[in-house]
Amino acid sequence: MKTIEQKGMYQKFPRSGKDTRVTHYCAGCGHGIVNKLVAECCAEMGLQDQTIFVDPVGCGVFTYYYWDAAHISAAHGRASAAATGVSRARPDAVTIAYQGDGDLGAIGFNNAFQAASRGEKFGCIFINNSLYGMTGGQMAPTTLEGEKTTTTPFGRDPALTGHPLHVCEVFNQLQAPVYIARVSVADTKRIMQCKQAIKRLFEIQRDHKGYALLEILAPCPTNFRMDPLKAAEFCKNEMEAEFPLGTFRDVDKGVTPEAIGAQHQASAALEVKSVPQVASCAELFGVSDGVDAPPAEDDPSVPERRFKFAGYGGQGILSLGICVAEAARLEKRHTLWFPSYGPEQRGGSASCSVVVSGTPIGSPTVEHPDVLVCMNQPSYERFVGDVKKGGIVIVDASVPITKQPPEGVKLYQVPAIQMAEDFGVPKAANTMMLAALRAFKATGLDDAHLETALCASFKKKPQLVEKNRDLLHRAEAALLNN
Amino acid sequence: MEEKTEGALPRPEIEEDSCKGCGRCVAACPKKCLSIQEHMNRMGIRPVGYVGTGCIGCAMCFYNCPEPYAIKVVKP
Repeated sequence: MKTIEQKGMYQKFPRSGKDTRVTHYCAGCGHGIVNKLVAECCAEMGLQDQTIFVDPVGCGVFTYYYWDAAHISAAHGRASAAATGVSRARPDAVTIAYQGDGDLGAIGFNNAFQAASRGEKFGCIFINNSLYGMTGGQMAPTTLEGEKTTTTPFGRDPALTGHPLHVCEVFNQLQAPVYIARVSVADTKRIMQCKQAIKRLFEIQRDHKGYALLEILAPCPTNFRMDPLKAAEFCKNEMEAEFPLGTFRDVDKGVTPEAIGAQHQASAALEVKSVPQVASCAELFGVSDGVDAPPAEDDPSVPERRFKFAGYGGQGILSLGICVAEAARLEKRHTLWFPSYGPEQRGGSASCSVVVSGTPIGSPTVEHPDVLVCMNQPSYERFVGDVKKGGIVIVDASVPITKQPPEGVKLYQVPAIQMAEDFGVPKAANTMMLAALRAFKATGLDDAHLETALCASFKKKPQLVEKNRDLLHRAEAALLNN
Repeated sequence: MEEKTEGALPRPEIEEDSCKGCGRCVAACPKKCLSIQEHMNRMGIRPVGYVGTGCIGCAMCFYNCPEPYAIKVVKP
């Protein structure tokens, strides 16, 4: 019997959380696929006891949670510099730096480039997903022309922000590197080619041949704002058109650049295209500019009310908290919204605290909420014991009640996820929870203000305003009937 | 000739609580024998499941999966 399963990783990731067996990456992330391949190659070649990984800053920051080998975490952009030190101090070891667009392509470009130019004896794996993933999808040097990111909302304009940086081609101008290649993880064929390339990278390091660079095109569904399959398609069609795959150099196998110091094409002088004008930053980013809500007024008769919203990232937990805080703001209450989430944008645990009060608020953190809203099991188990006596817990009906709330706490099970799907808008589970908060009078805020706040949260997507308003009413009616 | 029993065929084994429901394996399976299920896992995500027949043990699902422990392929 043969089982094809993960090799080279820890069985559990206790540094991430007790009994955790999932990575921190979003659904469909290219990092996850590459992490698996790297661990597998390292284990299959029997190099786990010899390998020292240098971890970056970026989405790949936690590879030391997963890979069963030695690790050093470098400062942002300094993985190649740290790897230089490691490989010189331990010439017997296999040193591998794992870096991303920001780490290698931007802040750390000089570190990586000079290390390559010196021909340091380590391998560098460079994940190119065409933007900064961890910080929320800003433009990277590798962003494609016309690609929309949070800092190039109209698409990247080369006249303003330059052309995409071709790291492999630039490094291929150097004398010293022995291996330079670009692969992708967009589909099965490419993943298997990627595995071969990673193996080659390890081989070169095992034999201490010299500097090797492997660029891997990886999809980032979250920041491409696409589902995982469309993101892989984007990676294959758009990114490969800009960054062609191939082995640029493998000196031992006779693949060398035709001419080192090849022609530099002088590009015509660029003219800055006109930048579309918007009235204000608030409009551009779709946030309220503070004009449409009055400042808070003191009213000591209104007691402090503390809320906790929890679930996994992507369920709209943070937006739900903003809605309640915004409604409080419309009501001239003092209010604070305080999010808590990991480096991942989807899939990890996310929660936020909201405090509403008639008097100025001391701390935005909520240890003992009056109202707890939970959208999944781990968050329910974590927070239910903290709810104050006389408080309310609203939990999605898909969550098994493995733990009873403390005495004097009311528990409501609301089929929010199911209702949103039944209404044909699976993403609106948070709107269903808002309907539940209204139906159970849990917020102490005016119903009209909650509705206005919900509509305001869709300012950027006006087509969704009426839909969500309608869903709110239908869900509330359904909840009150039951 | 020996008749192949159900247990003797290759099959994917899915750890539902590790699945993030991205669907890469469903798209990659050449025999289309994986699908997203109706029920939810611990995280509130609909995990992938094996339809029960058709697996040829190629492990394309395993290599397309970004999660280390969500899916493995057993070849008896």
